[in-house]
Amino acid sequence: MMEIEEKFTAKRFWKEIAKGIVLTNPVFVLVLGLCPTLAVTTSVDNALGMGAGVIFVLLGSNIIISLIRKITPNMVRIPVFIVVIAAFVTILSLLFEAYIPPLYESLGIYLPLIVVNCIILGRAEVFASKNPVLLSMADGIGVGLGFTVSLIIISFLREVLGTGSLQIFGKKLFAIPVLSQSPLTIFIMPPGAFIVIALLMALFKLLGVLKNE
Amino acid sequence: MIREKNKNSGIKIMQNKFYPVVFLTIIVLVAVVLLMYVSNITRVKILEQREAKILNQLKNIFPDMEKYELKDDIYIILKDGKSISYAFIAKGKGYGGEIQTLVGIDKDFALKEIVVLSNSETPGLGSKITLSSFTDQFKGLKSNEVVLNKDGGRVDAISGATISSRAVTDSVREELNDKIEIIKNNGY
Repeated sequence: MMEIEEKFTAKRFWKEIAKGIVLTNPVFVLVLGLCPTLAVTTSVDNALGMGAGVIFVLLGSNIIISLIRKITPNMVRIPVFIVVIAAFVTILSLLFEAYIPPLYESLGIYLPLIVVNCIILGRAEVFASKNPVLLSMADGIGVGLGFTVSLIIISFLREVLGTGSLQIFGKKLFAIPVLSQSPLTIFIMPPGAFIVIALLMALFKLLGVLKNE
Repeated sequence: MIREKNKNSGIKIMQNKFYPVVFLTIIVLVAVVLLMYVSNITRVKILEQREAKILNQLKNIFPDMEKYELKDDIYIILKDGKSISYAFIAKGKGYGGEIQTLVGIDKDFALKEIVVLSNSETPGLGSKITLSSFTDQFKGLKSNEVVLNKDGGRVDAISGATISSRAVTDSVREELNDKIEIIKNNGY
């Protein structure tokens, strides 16, 4: 009996993670958290930093909120969620400022704004407050990874098209000969973010339709 | 039996009308304690990082610097115990938010070098204020010359980024005038 339940949990654990990346991908499917997505996807470095930050906060807040879900009064649950999330974000921003200052600077205001990232509050309300700890962890990791993967795809296209080259952790990986001399600057400016996200969304929708047929 | 009783008393507590208030207060208190702890262990490191950054920049601007002293927000650059030049941070409002510029000046108050420390201007446009092609124009200027070309001064604005260029230029000039006053009055 115990073993069956264990197996079931492990399987569901991985299923929850996969679900967050593909089926309920926060950016391309749920269209949540678009503000930071538009703003920080100007470079792959920023995307990685923001993604790591969101995974940390989402995992932490999902665990705590799931742990206290049975003793949290319904009436004050939203303020409780916000306090938990804000605490994790503040910890993250202190750690970033102390140990990775370049990242802290390039993320700027979008780091503290993780507090109001609707993905995190959304997962707390929809998932973590109703499910046991392990599943909530899986959900946090999955949705966090889904967000990160989306950011990386978007920022990769924007950085390559908008600057003609790609830098990761300050190291230049490659530069496209003609493009890097006269890059398509529009792609690292706000309109470029909308264009790239829209095209990707259309592409994923098309893939989904094709797969269903 | 005992467990049953505990469970019942737990439900009783949760039905109390003050329970939500008490619960939220406890959560906030726990968060506060945790944040105080993290803030304590990172504070030294954060201050070090900020200082190291400024020190690095100052060393680039003033290679002769032996040490510096901070008085009235002015970095007094010392060599052999005497002040050889000054630096300060100017803050201006750009297109995307605050722009902070570190300004180094000579003993005779001519600009030596400016370095944009932080900005949130549009990448590829306003963010060009950090490039030396823009900041090098400030070298050797007196405070009355630190004005954009189109406003009758000697600084060429970046095309397409007049607001960002003006924010840097104006904040540097205004802060420079302020600091000259302070330096003269206090004899730093």
